Amino acid sequence: MIAPIQATGLGKRFGRTWALRDCSIRIPPGKIAGLVGPNGAGKSTFLHLVAGLLSPSTGEVTVFGRSPRSHLIQLLDRVAFVAQDTPLYSGFTVADMLELGRRLNSRWDQRSVEQRLRDLEIPFDRKIRNLSGGQRSQVALGLALGKRPELLLLDEPVARLDPLARREFMQGLTASVAEDGISVLLSSHVVGDIERVCDYLVIISQGRVQVAGDIDELMGNHHLLLGPRTDDGPPPSGVEVIKTSHTERQTSLWVRGRVAHLDDGWREQPLSLEELVITYLSVPAAAALPRPELEEVPA
Amino acid sequence: MSWVTWRQHRLEGAWSLAIGAALAAAVIFVAYQLHAASCGGQANSYCFSNELGGTIAQGIVRLNLYQYGLVVLPALAGAFIGCPLVAREVENGTHRLAWTQGVTRLRWLAVKLVLVFVPLLAVAAVAGALEVVLINQLGTTPNHWAFFDQQAPVVVAATLFALALGLAAGAVIGKSVPAMAVTLVAFVVVRVGLAEIARPMYIAPLSYKSVDLNTQTGAVYPSAWWLDDPSYYDNAGHCLGTVTFNGYRGQAAYFVQHFQPGDRFWAFQSIESAILTILAAALIGFTIYWVTRRLS
Repeated sequence: MIAPIQATGLGKRFGRTWALRDCSIRIPPGKIAGLVGPNGAGKSTFLHLVAGLLSPSTGEVTVFGRSPRSHLIQLLDRVAFVAQDTPLYSGFTVADMLELGRRLNSRWDQRSVEQRLRDLEIPFDRKIRNLSGGQRSQVALGLALGKRPELLLLDEPVARLDPLARREFMQGLTASVAEDGISVLLSSHVVGDIERVCDYLVIISQGRVQVAGDIDELMGNHHLLLGPRTDDGPPPSGVEVIKTSHTERQTSLWVRGRVAHLDDGWREQPLSLEELVITYLSVPAAAALPRPELEEVPA
Repeated sequence: MSWVTWRQHRLEGAWSLAIGAALAAAVIFVAYQLHAASCGGQANSYCFSNELGGTIAQGIVRLNLYQYGLVVLPALAGAFIGCPLVAREVENGTHRLAWTQGVTRLRWLAVKLVLVFVPLLAVAAVAGALEVVLINQLGTTPNHWAFFDQQAPVVVAATLFALALGLAAGAVIGKSVPAMAVTLVAFVVVRVGLAEIARPMYIAPLSYKSVDLNTQTGAVYPSAWWLDDPSYYDNAGHCLGTVTFNGYRGQAAYFVQHFQPGDRFWAFQSIESAILTILAAALIGFTIYWVTRRLS
């Protein structure tokens, strides 16, 4: 299957600042991929490049094998984008927004959008500016899903929502995309949101992609090793140490891979997704990228 | 896209129509009152009846509402309708919503331009044409030059220019309010610059020379645009100055004054309209480039 998103050496510069650099990733089809990283890491830039809102300064990104720069018309119907702060026309009613979606998109599915918003008890005759933040986000999501996209991009969709609305939004998202097999890429700086719904993770920091991979694989492949303090001892065989920290009596090693057997006094602990993300973000030089897939990139 | 544009801009549309209709009603009313008072014989005079209608018409004329209106309204249209067209979307982030629907930015912009600009230009055309009707009621040989900025071709071109200016300023600045300020200032600079510097020289002026120092040039060519004060010369051809000729009593032999004849009026209207239209086209072209290539 063609990858919904494939980037090769992708970079974007604004003036003298590189917002995104040398980004090469392939997001497999049918995944709900989470894009995490601190504010200003380049998440929005990446999403805008994929959505065709920006043109790359270097490299290339393709969406279903096509460049958003040269084939935007073919992609606009297949890709839905919910931008940061879920922008909608505040003077429109909910019904007006749906009418907009119906008129501007050839594959629009009015019935399912109406059903969806009715289930959420969102009043159709209310103006967008009078909706709650959660309702507003739901309308934006409804509008995006109404396009019947093959790829759904969401930029910090729940950043402004309270925990309950966050959970509802994410649940609605998972249910909808599971039915239709839509590929999703959503950005967030809250790992908890990603953990709840995503099965693929991309960590982006200071404009560079650090980690990309299946969340289950990443979790199974990263551990915390705790043992007696060893300042310069050789690293355990079979693993790659990402980060080391010492206390007076103890050494902690965050490692990728699995040790064949643990020396005396050492024990292995699983890492939570949040710990994994924070470990990588605290060591910007560390990277975990699926190399074989990059070789598939056509010249 | 047409429906979306209509839904987004119907309020501006209603306002423009209401203001245009009020202006047209005022012009028609005054023109009718002038016609009814049958003062066509008295050049450039307002001789309204003493009845209520005449008094109201006189009031409208005194306040010069439509004369100012036809100069100011295009600028306001540029600021209040042109500027937010792209800028408000960028301010609210809704451009990212609009440009990721199944419509390209170029089409998005083109539909907006056609559906918002064309009706406003039509309103401007009607107002400018009614103004011509009104001026023709002002006397047997009305001087059109006094209302150069208020008549049909120039009013339409100025409206187009103001809208294009507002559109471009809004797109580049990305914020409605600063763009409005820039639009108003730039509009005034361009229009005053054209009127004061360029317009007298669109075609080389003619000179009028008379040895009769008492000649009232305005009466000789009532439909001409007199560009300067008379310059007085002595017999040797030395220029004495432009002070009223009593100051040069006994010295002045003749005077010279420059003018544009009345039959050049429509040529001048065409030239100024063409300049404004070319500027507008350049601004729209620039906006298309900016919106399709530079915004995100």
